[in-house]
Amino acid sequence: MSAPKDDLKRPRELKTFVVPGDERSRLERITDHLKRDWQLYLLLAPTIIWLLLFLYKPMYGLQIAFKDYSVFRGIADSPWIGWDHFETLFGSEQFLRALRNTIYISLLSLLFGFPAPIILALMFNEIYQQWFKKTAQTIVYLPHFISSVIIAGIVITAFSPSAGIVNTVIGWLGFDPVYFLTKPEWFRPIFVGTTIWQEAGFQSIVYLAAIAGVSPTLYESAVVDGASRWQMMWKITLPSIMTTIIIMLIIRIGNMLEVSFEMIILLYQPATYETADVINTYIYRQGIQGGQYDFAAAAGLFNAVVAFVLVMTANTLSKRYSRTSLW
Amino acid sequence: MSDAALYSRGDRIFVWINVFLIGAFAISTLYPFIYIAALSFSSGFEARAGNVLLTPVEFTIAAYERVLSQPLFWSSYANTFIYTIGGTLMSLAFIIPGAYALSRPRLFGRRFWNLMVAFTMWFHAGMIPFFLNMRDLGLLDSYFGIIIGFAVNGFNVILLRNFFEGVPSSFEEAARMDGANELQILWKVYVPLAKPAIATVALFCIVSRWNGFFWAMVLLQDEKKIPLQVYLRKVIVVLSDDDEFASSLLTASYSFETVSAAIIVCSIIPVLLIYPFLQKYFNKGILLGGVKE
Amino acid sequence: MSGVKLQKIVKAYGAVQVVHGIDLDVQENEFVVLVGPSGCGKSTTLRMIAGLEEISAGALHIDGRLMNRVAPKDRDVAMVFQNYALYPHLNVAENIAFGLKIRKVSKPEIEKSVEEVGHILGLTEYLDRRPADLSGGQRQRVAMGRAIVRRPKVFLFDEPLSNLDAKLRTQMRAEIKRLHNRLGVTSIYVTHDQVEAMTLADRIVVMSDGNIEQVGTPMDLFLNPKSVFVASFLGAPPMNMIKATVAEGDTGPVAVFEGQKIKLAPLEALRNQIGKSVTVGIRPEFAEIAGEGTADRIHIGMDLIETLGSEALLHATLGGEPFVIRTETLGKHNALGGVSGFTIRPDLIRVFDGETGEALVGQEVEA
Repeated sequence: MSAPKDDLKRPRELKTFVVPGDERSRLERITDHLKRDWQLYLLLAPTIIWLLLFLYKPMYGLQIAFKDYSVFRGIADSPWIGWDHFETLFGSEQFLRALRNTIYISLLSLLFGFPAPIILALMFNEIYQQWFKKTAQTIVYLPHFISSVIIAGIVITAFSPSAGIVNTVIGWLGFDPVYFLTKPEWFRPIFVGTTIWQEAGFQSIVYLAAIAGVSPTLYESAVVDGASRWQMMWKITLPSIMTTIIIMLIIRIGNMLEVSFEMIILLYQPATYETADVINTYIYRQGIQGGQYDFAAAAGLFNAVVAFVLVMTANTLSKRYSRTSLW
Repeated sequence: MSDAALYSRGDRIFVWINVFLIGAFAISTLYPFIYIAALSFSSGFEARAGNVLLTPVEFTIAAYERVLSQPLFWSSYANTFIYTIGGTLMSLAFIIPGAYALSRPRLFGRRFWNLMVAFTMWFHAGMIPFFLNMRDLGLLDSYFGIIIGFAVNGFNVILLRNFFEGVPSSFEEAARMDGANELQILWKVYVPLAKPAIATVALFCIVSRWNGFFWAMVLLQDEKKIPLQVYLRKVIVVLSDDDEFASSLLTASYSFETVSAAIIVCSIIPVLLIYPFLQKYFNKGILLGGVKE
Repeated sequence: MSGVKLQKIVKAYGAVQVVHGIDLDVQENEFVVLVGPSGCGKSTTLRMIAGLEEISAGALHIDGRLMNRVAPKDRDVAMVFQNYALYPHLNVAENIAFGLKIRKVSKPEIEKSVEEVGHILGLTEYLDRRPADLSGGQRQRVAMGRAIVRRPKVFLFDEPLSNLDAKLRTQMRAEIKRLHNRLGVTSIYVTHDQVEAMTLADRIVVMSDGNIEQVGTPMDLFLNPKSVFVASFLGAPPMNMIKATVAEGDTGPVAVFEGQKIKLAPLEALRNQIGKSVTVGIRPEFAEIAGEGTADRIHIGMDLIETLGSEALLHATLGGEPFVIRTETLGKHNALGGVSGFTIRPDLIRVFDGETGEALVGQEVEA
């Protein structure tokens, strides 16, 4: 069969062929689309409804931060009082203390907690005894999967003045036992140490993955050049994972205010509030335990807004640095 | 890289220093667990006296007998299973279809819906409004409240969505030409294809459900409904402050310390049982979502 | 008749038009190959026929029925994808049966069809294997099995061989041809590989920039390309192109360039061009090596020889441009180094308009 004449006469001026783009009307297009894809929206609906009901509705409830909230009147009908709660908040020594503690603990965690997994990953990378490496990795990842309650239980048991291993060792050395968890000056080191102990191993996975992506030829050519392992670590491995390190640092700074307050609730006690109380634990005590919902919501709003600004800044920085958004 | 023959003397010393330091860290990680296990099998008296270090002293299972004789231990254990299994299934029931829909380029308003998910990762209303909302919804002190209230998590949705996006579109197109509808495409093609990603999300859910304690503590008043972690906290954290209680628990065969240790061991065992699966998947999971994030 | 008819088919993404109104009539049982460089709109056209892309404007008929707004599953077409899209969690039999199961065909019937298809494609021993355990060629066959098991009216192939290595590709190409001869189902096949197009097609559709450049049988396109684009796209190595001016020679028109002359066929169409600039196209296969003193010999400068075995490619320069000659080696290979000129049958030369690149009308030859 030869093609119809029509086909052969297909000249280039077809580029100016007048096309209405789409023959259908806008409405027709939308109904066509819905007819074809309605099942897709059915699949999406539960997630969206859930988000609205459990995460977006509370955002509407945030307005009680500016209201004199009463349980009986409900959120909408409680009277507006403007910035009163925030003024009280920033006049409260307890809140300011919580704010200070949040910053201190975040900075301490950043300072010690951030480098730990990097160092761990670099060290893991140097070990060529595979069974040892595998076993050690299996062990150090484990605490991440253990509940904070248990970790806290272990810490409490270990630091217990009567039977704890720490005080036992101190006893061997001839000193008196210390009630670590009741001493404000000991709270932060114990808390930061605990979180590093729990998370450093697991966090090192990201860096190990980055190291695994470094081309082996770089090391091979370094060997040919006579570099030592120590030099290779500094000159090859570390620079190669710098992007990952910076992205992780940015993420970390973005989430800085999210100190693991669950762990703090488990470990602190009135005697250590002075150094241990952070914004979230403060909100918990004032709001959930004390029933001052509006006031505590104001503290929460402050926290959320600062966190949001930090996260957004981090995301912008990351975009600029790695040209990939964090989300 | 792992060809040891290429290592110079100095390199070997460097490697062994690393082996030593990593070994020390691993031991410091492992030791507390061994210590707790040893404690749980020791006699109360020896435990109190601080004589337990590595192995049980005066081996006894009295602490376990005491723990297992508590009805509250059993009910909280059962509750944890209910919350973990129910919660994980609930999460998957929301997340799998949602993530699939969000991954489809033809979804109308896709950018908006995705932003709506991502925004929940950047901004939380906070503890109080969430609590009040749960109360207004009548979900305080309810099994269903715990199970549904934490079903969707932006990170997991995005992790799975990214995976679905990575599946070549020809899979969907081939199934569509074969006559499959949206649900069939999801269930018969994409779910089997996404098994590793779904397993990762499921394991994340299981771990966070099993370990979660804060909201269970806040939302549940009825002792019969509390999960294991809340029970644990009651025993270990709250009561440890109460020295009088601790002393009252001391008998020749068990003490507060050994009982706490026994509960800890009981609650860690399920985590250890699924740990091999976790290990298989969390590497993947981190790479799927973590790094990309 | 289960033909496929495209009328003024347009694809636009918003304001950007990628297919500019295509007309094509595919006859029942015909094997039509859409070929062109990447981005020419061939895959988009195929996907519009499949129903995977919306048709922005124009009409699509399959088997005489308007299909524009019919769902892919109801068009009675089957498609073989470039990456096969085999479900890794199903074995070969289940992969082939997938479409039938979705359509709720009865179990015994499914089993019978799968067995039959397995037999046709030589997959009988592999029916319970997973795709991961198959070789590339076997996977390709399963993908075809999944398409033919439904006995569709039309087969669509989207670059089905491009993931295979060269040797397998040749083998599978022949198998596709054999299958088509056996089943005789209307097939539309997209590829960027001109060899596949030449070997498989009853008719080839050459596309470029969202337009159809030319439609015809492989030989027709090879001998009578309508434009420089088609001429240089089909055939390997491609047609040699020489810029020249037409002049009046002793016995008819000649093409003059760089002080040399090429004798052209004494056609009216070429006489009309005297004084105008043209592009002269010479297929490497049609140039005959000629020794010094041969009449109408065109002189070339030798560059290098690529020996292929029975044939060799002589890379030379003509008028400063590369010029390739394909020649047999038997008995003369040793002499090839000294080649310095060739002759060409005037009627095998294609002459194109120097400005538009369109072939001058009236110089067509029969295959």
